Amino acid sequence: MNGKEKLLYDIGVVSFVVVDLGLYLDTHPTDCKAMEYYNHYNHIRKQLMKEFSEKYYPLTMDMAECSKEWKWGMAPMPWEGECG
Amino acid sequence: MQEYRYEGKEDRFPVAMAYVPWQKFDKMYENLDKAYHEGTIFPELNKPFTGRRCVS
Amino acid sequence: MWNYEKRLQFPVNIKEPNAKLAQVIISQYGGPDGEMGASMRYLSQRYSMPYREVAGVLTDIGTEELAHLEMVATIVHQLTRDLSMEEIEKSGFGQYYVDHTIGVWPQAAGGIPFNACEFQVKGDVITDLHEDMAAEQKARSTYDNILRLIKDPDVCEPIKFLRAREIVHYQRFGEALRMTQDRLNSKNFYAFNPGFDQTPNC
Repeated sequence: MNGKEKLLYDIGVVSFVVVDLGLYLDTHPTDCKAMEYYNHYNHIRKQLMKEFSEKYYPLTMDMAECSKEWKWGMAPMPWEGECG
Repeated sequence: MQEYRYEGKEDRFPVAMAYVPWQKFDKMYENLDKAYHEGTIFPELNKPFTGRRCVS
Repeated sequence: MWNYEKRLQFPVNIKEPNAKLAQVIISQYGGPDGEMGASMRYLSQRYSMPYREVAGVLTDIGTEELAHLEMVATIVHQLTRDLSMEEIEKSGFGQYYVDHTIGVWPQAAGGIPFNACEFQVKGDVITDLHEDMAAEQKARSTYDNILRLIKDPDVCEPIKFLRAREIVHYQRFGEALRMTQDRLNSKNFYAFNPGFDQTPNC
């Protein structure tokens, strides 16, 4: 994996942790320990998403701030696979 | 034959209803990469498929 | 309202085309227990849910199912994108190919098109949650059946991931049912429909 692929993979891992904790919290809304974990990983996720969007291409449309060109439309689609 | 024990359990749950036990958050996988590949961060919910059909 | 992230929930990078496997896996796209039915079921059931927490579970699981739908489509796409004409003819993919080329269209493995009759919105919280729990088990069984047919680890890993999520979702729907029971009278859970009837005593 190159740097870009590694960062995208790490975003996948941490986003998955956030999703799984989020579903747990949906049915355990007063679990403080789970909430602490959620806040921790959600923070990391936001940082990594921002880093990726600045270095490579925007992962969400709201990260597609542009000056010269509209990068969102040209960003690779996820089904293209590695090096897409 | 499997013997089912009902004693002491009659009153815990009203009949004619389904109950899944509440999950209590104990700890998540420390290795998040492993959690990702197992498909859950909760060790107690990790129940992989190991079936193999032994008919030729 | 939804926001799209240009990434898969779990990586899919398949190098070897396999038309036979694609024809089986497409069932989890548009088949009777597939991800399209799952997402539409949960997202559609939300509007008649009397309890906000339960509607929240349906929203978040329904949203995750959309990500699974995209993963399954990606698997089918990558299994078929580099097929030769000879492979298409030989593998039995010709019948699909004539109608869809190598596009991804929601159908069951047997060719039956996706249909809303594959799920229900009953407008009754107990009934709908029972259906949701059964739906997770049916999808889990389908993934078990698919896993027996796979030898390629590139396909196996994402399918294993999707299967594991069915079990987690089953647990969450079970807990949503427990939350529902706590709001009702355990002497008679079926006295009235909390999403339709005003009060039990009126």
